[in-house]
Amino acid sequence: MEFMRSIKILLLTLLSLTIFQPGFAQDSTLQSPQESAPQSYVSIRLLAAKNTLAPGDKILVGIEQSIAPGWHTYWVNPGDSGAETRIAWTMPEGFATGDINWPAPHKIPYGPLTNYGYSDNVVLLQQISVPETIPAGPVTLTAKVEVLVCKDICIPESGTYSLTFNDPAAQAEDNAAWLAKAQQLLPVPVPWHASYEIDGEDTILKIRGDNISFDGIAPEGFEFFPLEWGLVNNASPPEVNLYQNEIVFRQKRGDRAIEQIPSTEIVVAFVNSQKQRQAVSFIAAQGNGHSAATTESPVASTSTAVDIGISGGIAGALLFALLGGLILNLMPCVFPVLSIKALSLVKAAEKDPGHARLSGLAYTAGVVLSFIAVAGALIALKAAGAGIGWGFQLQDPLVIALLAYLLFIIGLNLTGVFEISGHFGNLGDKLTKGDGLAGSFFTGVLATLVAAPCTAPFMAAAIGYALTQPAFIALPIFAVLGFGLALPYLALSFTPSLQKILPRPGAWMETFRQLLSFPMFAAALWLVWVLSQQTDQTGLLFVLVGLVMLALGFWLLNHSPEKKSARLLVQVLAALAFLSAAALLPFDKKENDPARIETLSFGEVYSPEKLGESLQTSDPVFVEMTAAWCITCKVNHAVAIDIDSTRKVFADKNIRYLVGDWTNYDEEITDFLNSYGRNGVPIYVYFGPPDPVTGTRPEAKILPQVLTPAIVQEALN
Amino acid sequence: MLSRKLVFVLAAMILLLMLALPVYAAPEVGKPAPDFKATDIDGKEFSLSALKGKKVVLEWTNHQCPFVVKHYGSGNMQATQKAATDKGVVWVSIVSSGEGNQGYVSADEARSIVEEQKASPSVKILDPSGEIGHLYDARTTPHMFVIDEEGKLVYAGAIDNNSSPNPDTIEGATNYVLAALDDLEAGRPVAVSNTQPYGCGVKYAH
Repeated sequence: MEFMRSIKILLLTLLSLTIFQPGFAQDSTLQSPQESAPQSYVSIRLLAAKNTLAPGDKILVGIEQSIAPGWHTYWVNPGDSGAETRIAWTMPEGFATGDINWPAPHKIPYGPLTNYGYSDNVVLLQQISVPETIPAGPVTLTAKVEVLVCKDICIPESGTYSLTFNDPAAQAEDNAAWLAKAQQLLPVPVPWHASYEIDGEDTILKIRGDNISFDGIAPEGFEFFPLEWGLVNNASPPEVNLYQNEIVFRQKRGDRAIEQIPSTEIVVAFVNSQKQRQAVSFIAAQGNGHSAATTESPVASTSTAVDIGISGGIAGALLFALLGGLILNLMPCVFPVLSIKALSLVKAAEKDPGHARLSGLAYTAGVVLSFIAVAGALIALKAAGAGIGWGFQLQDPLVIALLAYLLFIIGLNLTGVFEISGHFGNLGDKLTKGDGLAGSFFTGVLATLVAAPCTAPFMAAAIGYALTQPAFIALPIFAVLGFGLALPYLALSFTPSLQKILPRPGAWMETFRQLLSFPMFAAALWLVWVLSQQTDQTGLLFVLVGLVMLALGFWLLNHSPEKKSARLLVQVLAALAFLSAAALLPFDKKENDPARIETLSFGEVYSPEKLGESLQTSDPVFVEMTAAWCITCKVNHAVAIDIDSTRKVFADKNIRYLVGDWTNYDEEITDFLNSYGRNGVPIYVYFGPPDPVTGTRPEAKILPQVLTPAIVQEALN
Repeated sequence: MLSRKLVFVLAAMILLLMLALPVYAAPEVGKPAPDFKATDIDGKEFSLSALKGKKVVLEWTNHQCPFVVKHYGSGNMQATQKAATDKGVVWVSIVSSGEGNQGYVSADEARSIVEEQKASPSVKILDPSGEIGHLYDARTTPHMFVIDEEGKLVYAGAIDNNSSPNPDTIEGATNYVLAALDDLEAGRPVAVSNTQPYGCGVKYAH
């Protein structure tokens, strides 16, 4: 067999030499002063995976160019000069070919010019679709291959090659392994996000991707090749900066207006840690990508001077942080606390406007400092290597239970079950009374605590940005977020005219206060429900009993009998109640349990393997990352995804729907979020179906954080 | 006093900025075409700025390059030249091959090549130093430039839209130079003003 194949290859090569027509214009072109030209500088060989075919088959064909030493042929974008290889097939009716798949090219400098192409040996790949009906007997497919091969001079060569299938006289042939090897040299399509823009005389290409690791990879080994011409000056060397999950190329701009290049495929080649050349491909679009590059110092760079410039990126993030903070005021868990605080302020301001202002400042300080504290903890944990993100604190059932206790206590206080007086704490008391600077400060802390579950739409982007930044940039962003949350109250405390708009304080306030206890109870209830997914039934029961104990304790405190011994007894009982409530808290963390999510109405559980597997198919893929404690996630899912019309789109388009649950700590989901520049849920990512010809998927679409059925269904189309 | 100091500092900063700006040699479509002076193969002085009021086509060429052979062997370039010059367009063929490189010719050889090709450029210029080539960032042979009556560059790029070296592909291809000249004639903006030039690399002196 082996022998037969060698003979066959030999014959093929000989054949190709004999039928090769050396150039269209051989008379004048070949009289080069430097070269005494042999007949050909490229020998071509065609190989199919096998030499049989059946109706409906898809057959991979390799077109191999063996190029004479020192000579080169061209990529689909040849660079400054040259021309791509062309292949024209003559085939029986119904047969069709796909686009040529090109391995990653090399840069070939020639004087002041730089071309993109290949030397030595290259295999182009093409897929051939066989129709449903084929003629009986041997089927011959013929390719006319036109190659421009250049060294100092250029020679066009062309030849005609044939592949014969279903020849009963031929030995069975299997070149699948050889083709698989050739396929490995093709750029791997990756769902990276890339954009390019002109900055002065340079084109900047920013690429963000999934877990791009640069261990052992030097920036010098990176090259990028745009499929479109004129994006960059091909001859100028790029400056390469590697950031966490990000590559930034800066190269002199090309001579084409960037508006003429709305998008282009890009091939990036690099030398990996095993010193092997690897390549990936993705689609880049014109525009200013959200990027760490404007502020972060690169982890590696080809330029010796590391630039730390703070520009648009951080200003935008600060603005978003401020807006996000403002929006947090409207969240169901924050609003009641603040509205009561605001109403009480009016009363206080009438007595002493100066004190009202101080109270506003104290409150602001409380909020901002709490945000900085949370951010500091987050950054420290991240620096320590923990795979966490925003909302991570809610992955701990202990935190959830404590928040449930807190909201429940506030609710009790609002209904008037108890009034905290005198020595006992100042939190709830000052909350409604509105005096005492410490009270205002702690109201701020409280507002931060209760705001934590409400990841508002604007917040995620700002936080995602912040967490990719060094601490000296991240902390201000968090501080501004807190400032946004504090701003309405602060403004109110400083503006008497605003205070006048608010209704006059009076007896109605007591009723209003009681009414506001219900959102608090509802929020507490929701936290208990979240907890039910983080702990087992016993743990849940413990916390519920703990809530009753809390209620008992506060009720007891509010009933102080005249008799000293009786009063002591009541106080001891109350203390016991509080202690037991504390003892009933869940102290065990639970790992994410993928089994739980399988009870979802539809969809599959996310895992990186599952995603990789799904992306290998030709189906579209939709990934949703959610968490029980994330209200936005739950609302989105209920109103826009788990509805008949969206489910129908999923079914019609055969969309693979993967859901990741971040309720509990899960490093793999955290990695996924990070790869899209996010540090919190929700995130919705749609991977469109691959191009039937090239097998390349379009760039993944990230949906907004607030969904409507229209947004989802449009994104899926 | 302060304001005078401020003006001085500002002026110094602007000057520094201007110095720091790179010299961007490549001509831009829509901007004035860079002017150049040269002696043609007949010993006559040529100046681009002297041609204001006339349309000008610049053609980079190298008679040994297969892509040039594609367009001259088929008669396509000559036909394009004739169509242009008949309308009063000045056609300038430029050879930027360095001495010893492919396409490098003496003035005598250049004249006989024009004769052999039955070509009719208005002017043919030898640029062995590559000065004019670099001025226009000419990369390929052929690489075409069209300049309007006001001296503005209105087209830069390929001769047509089929980059194959095969002369059979000329038929059915869109000739960008003729299209640009037609647009100018009709008073329209040039529809396709910038394309990727194709061909052999210009054989500049190293």
